Amino acid sequence: MSLIEVIKSANSNLLRNKGRSLLTILAIFIGTFTIIMTTGINTGVNGYIDKQMNSAGGEGYLEIMPEATMELMASASMLSSEAQEYNPDKNASDAQVISDDDIAEIKKVDGVKSAKKWHMTSAEYITSVKTDKKYVIELATMPTDTINVDMSAGAMVDIDAEKPQIALADKYVAPLGFDSDESAVGQTVKLAVKNVVTKEIVEIEAVISGVMNPSVIGFGRSWINDSLSQRLSESASEGLPAEYKDRAFLAVAQLEEDYYSKEKMQEIKDALKDMGYSAMTVEDEVGMIKSFFDAITIVLTIFGMIALVAASIGIINTLYMAVQERTREIGLMKAMGLGKGKIRTMFSFEAVALGFWGAVLGVAVAYAAKEVTNGLAAQTFLKDLPGFTLIAFNPLNLVYIVLLIMAIAFLAGTLPARKASKLDPIESLRYE
Amino acid sequence: MASNNVISVKNVKKVYGKKSHEFVALKNVDLDIKRGESVAIIGKSGSGKSTLMHILALLDSPTRGTVTVNGVESTALKQRRINKIRNREFGFVFQQFFMNSRDTVLNNVMLPLKIAGVRKSERKRRAMQALKIVELTDKVKNKANDLSGGQKQRVCIARALVNSPSVIFADEPTGNLDSVTGKKVEDILMRLNKKGGITLIVVTHDEDLAQKCDRQIYIKDGRIVK
Repeated sequence: MSLIEVIKSANSNLLRNKGRSLLTILAIFIGTFTIIMTTGINTGVNGYIDKQMNSAGGEGYLEIMPEATMELMASASMLSSEAQEYNPDKNASDAQVISDDDIAEIKKVDGVKSAKKWHMTSAEYITSVKTDKKYVIELATMPTDTINVDMSAGAMVDIDAEKPQIALADKYVAPLGFDSDESAVGQTVKLAVKNVVTKEIVEIEAVISGVMNPSVIGFGRSWINDSLSQRLSESASEGLPAEYKDRAFLAVAQLEEDYYSKEKMQEIKDALKDMGYSAMTVEDEVGMIKSFFDAITIVLTIFGMIALVAASIGIINTLYMAVQERTREIGLMKAMGLGKGKIRTMFSFEAVALGFWGAVLGVAVAYAAKEVTNGLAAQTFLKDLPGFTLIAFNPLNLVYIVLLIMAIAFLAGTLPARKASKLDPIESLRYE
Repeated sequence: MASNNVISVKNVKKVYGKKSHEFVALKNVDLDIKRGESVAIIGKSGSGKSTLMHILALLDSPTRGTVTVNGVESTALKQRRINKIRNREFGFVFQQFFMNSRDTVLNNVMLPLKIAGVRKSERKRRAMQALKIVELTDKVKNKANDLSGGQKQRVCIARALVNSPSVIFADEPTGNLDSVTGKKVEDILMRLNKKGGITLIVVTHDEDLAQKCDRQIYIKDGRIVK
């Protein structure tokens, strides 16, 4: 019997008990589908993050916090089960503040071109001369000019410009009374802050330098330059004691161009760590998001694998039943001179065929599910993130998954195949 | 080979089980089957006649003694060679037919050729030839299940024939058939022996069928008694 004949009869044997074969294939399909979809989501999300990362820029840019802040975050979080004792050297509330001395220290590190405090900025509302309506807005001070932001019109704020500038998230363009992104550039908006002492509202004018496209990196915020940031915080904190006026919890630093490589940046991070600071690059921050998605993917893939293990037991069961049903037939074929090896191959191929059809069904349904989900996502929750395909398949991965499942099925088939090959022809022919 | 024997059994003993549960099925059996003859092995159930047939057909190996097929001592051969001999030289007809009932008559008849690795077109040609001999060419496309008992047994004869074997083993070939259809099956087997020159070994307890053969071998308690 040639190998092709063996494969053909294995496949046609599956059709002898269609219901049973179909149920086994369905079990395999569920496992396959789960694995393909989770890896698909992982590929999609990570692909988008990578794409954003590549365009994000941020070379040589570091965000620096006192180590004390990190420790406090760790001890206050769920990760720590015990209450931590207070230590005035480490846990004092002002240990988390970045002072002018800290900035001076950071600037001394080799390779640091510039360093400055980064202030949290907030505004009560934004409005413009074209409308009476006021809108809440989330602001962030642009820390470095090395970060690339996808602009739909105009340019990013000039950090060092004397005049207050704002790069507006595109959702504000129409509400503020501008006809288009282009026509908004160069126009004036008013940002309001409330003085913490007098509760008086002060409006500060700023020029729109540009309008941004939505992106993950931007998080929907509008970016402002140092000048506007300063004016906002001065207006808010006027009347407060001096040490409360210029409070910052984060320092931002820009490195010399010679220090942009990964290794050099790591050296500087290590040096800062020795001084009691914790520094993060843009890559580190994105890496945190990525590892979070990876963890979810791993968990879901494990569920898929568990489903596959259950399906393998289904394969074993199905084939044991088939061996039992076909005992006399196996005996007859052996009497007619079919060798042990061929019988083993035949049943192994039946297992592989079950795996193959289950996997192919999984790929096909996953493909359809991908198309539908991506279509829906693009119209709904990913509407503001063009270029984000939620689920993406890597063809090579799909091939690997199908092969893996065929291999698992083959392994599951070895037990029944062995049993079939060991049957004694005389005994089998007597089997009732 | 000077001998005219197709199968020759020398001093064969077959023991089943071990020690206290030991059961001796065959005791020092010697038997020569000549090419082209028809032999009936007759005995009651439990007499050892089936065991003898299994040993003659190389389906079972003796505990002691030798089996020679076409001048080749087969007891010492590897399983692979034995499988090949069974496939090429032997045809089997069983009382319970043993057919794949959901498959077509043609596919059932082609099975030994499929196992032998014969090309599909050749398989079909030879299967049609065999079905012509048993006069069932009109049932080629039928499912085996739709046939009557006599027709089923004729399909089995066609299947036994399809490899052009030198020996056909028939184990109670008419045991499940009424006398009229049984007669037809007997006639076909006898015709294959007389006109086709195929050696026929029939295992039976039916005296009438046994008398139609050239030679009768009576077996009782594991010994040839006559």
